Amino acid sequence: MSHPEPESPRDLAAAYALGALAPEDARRFEAFLAGSPETQREVAEYRDVAALLALGGGEAAPSDDLRQRVLARVAETKGVPRRPPRARGRAALWVALAASLTAVLGLGLNLRSAQGELRDLRELLADTQGRLAAREATLNAIFEPGVQMYQLTATGDPEPGIQLFYDRQRERAIIHGFRLREVPEGRAYQLWFIRDGKPVPSVTFKPEADGHARVEQIPVPTGGDLSAAAVTIEPESGSTQPTMPIKLVGPLKRS
Amino acid sequence: MTAVPAAAACERLAVAYRLWAMPSSPPHSSLADRDLVAGAAGGDERAMAGLYDRYGQVLYAVAYRIVGERADAEEVVLEAFAQAWRDAPRFEAARGSVAGWLTMIARSRALDLVRARSRRDRITTAAASARPDAPLAMGEVRPDPSAGMDHSERRREVRQALEALSAPQRQAIELAYYEGLSQSEIAERLQEPLGTIKTRIRLGMQKLRDALRPFYFEPGP
Repeated sequence: MSHPEPESPRDLAAAYALGALAPEDARRFEAFLAGSPETQREVAEYRDVAALLALGGGEAAPSDDLRQRVLARVAETKGVPRRPPRARGRAALWVALAASLTAVLGLGLNLRSAQGELRDLRELLADTQGRLAAREATLNAIFEPGVQMYQLTATGDPEPGIQLFYDRQRERAIIHGFRLREVPEGRAYQLWFIRDGKPVPSVTFKPEADGHARVEQIPVPTGGDLSAAAVTIEPESGSTQPTMPIKLVGPLKRS
Repeated sequence: MTAVPAAAACERLAVAYRLWAMPSSPPHSSLADRDLVAGAAGGDERAMAGLYDRYGQVLYAVAYRIVGERADAEEVVLEAFAQAWRDAPRFEAARGSVAGWLTMIARSRALDLVRARSRRDRITTAAASARPDAPLAMGEVRPDPSAGMDHSERRREVRQALEALSAPQRQAIELAYYEGLSQSEIAERLQEPLGTIKTRIRLGMQKLRDALRPFYFEPGP
């Protein structure tokens, strides 16, 4: 990425609200945004502007039954099974569903099998939605105002890294590791906070097969001078003192 | 009534107030948007009905403008409200309005759908003129008698604000919002310097903000 001329991050507020920043630019802007309540208000206002843009495109209207379908989808998402219609507006939905199932039978498929598949798909959908919700919750936590990101680095090929998102207000941290090598059986990575020059033990974790790792809601030790964070490989149950050389390390200085 | 600036300002404020207090289905008509989201977060499905009554048409308009097909646009609206329902507990009023939150969800879902059409041609202005069900350009009007009247004043203001932009500013904003292009991608497509595109978007959005501030869907916190 290159910019032909220097610009203030605030100049990007409109483009960000419009969704016009490239992913890398958006991440950088969000890092700035986290520490700028004024820019947060500006982005919020530009989002209001963006919300209005749709009204400039004519007056196309959705189907009359869309409201009912939305509410049905909401109920499905909640996981509450809908009962056959008693309310007038739901009749069409259930009639349509019944017609669809009848058609399935007409095609010679087994209804039980279709219902089983539907149940499997719903479970898959719920699982996927749960994962997405968890990921979004992580993103929200990362973008909380005042949250700062620190890099824990190391040498190696490929070069592993850990991003540590430190929420000083809540005294919590999230770590996201990448390109982490597998650890031997019975071993795990362990995070350490360096307070007053001494290591304070924190969580242990293992990377996924793709080298990624994510740990949330990590308590950060309070009091004293928190100067750095580091990662070593320790027994799976964790250690009270580092027993192995430091694998990754990075400063936690307040910017 | 004498057309003095103060009177005009009062009238504008009155219109803005009326729009903020848009009617919706009972029992949620008197609740603020944030209250509805809080209700949804607490598991009240009627709160979602209230949100749909206020923003269903707006989300449909966003989706339809991006995906260009009625059935797809309605599916986007379904997905968007389902996501809003799931995400309601995490909605933070300090980060923006409910309208902005909902429309960004719908826009993202719509762009996802368009991107998923890997084998279909991208929606183009040329296609729009040949296809009756095609999306409209911003500022273009296709009257639909079935459309609700709640947003008619606001529509007029939005159109006037868009018409007040220069054509290049409007085009840059349109490409970003409706096609999901980054500033760099817009610069590449239009064969213009990146700095020019950035300036167009920034100035265009500033103009829209100044013109539309009284017509936001809800007052700021």
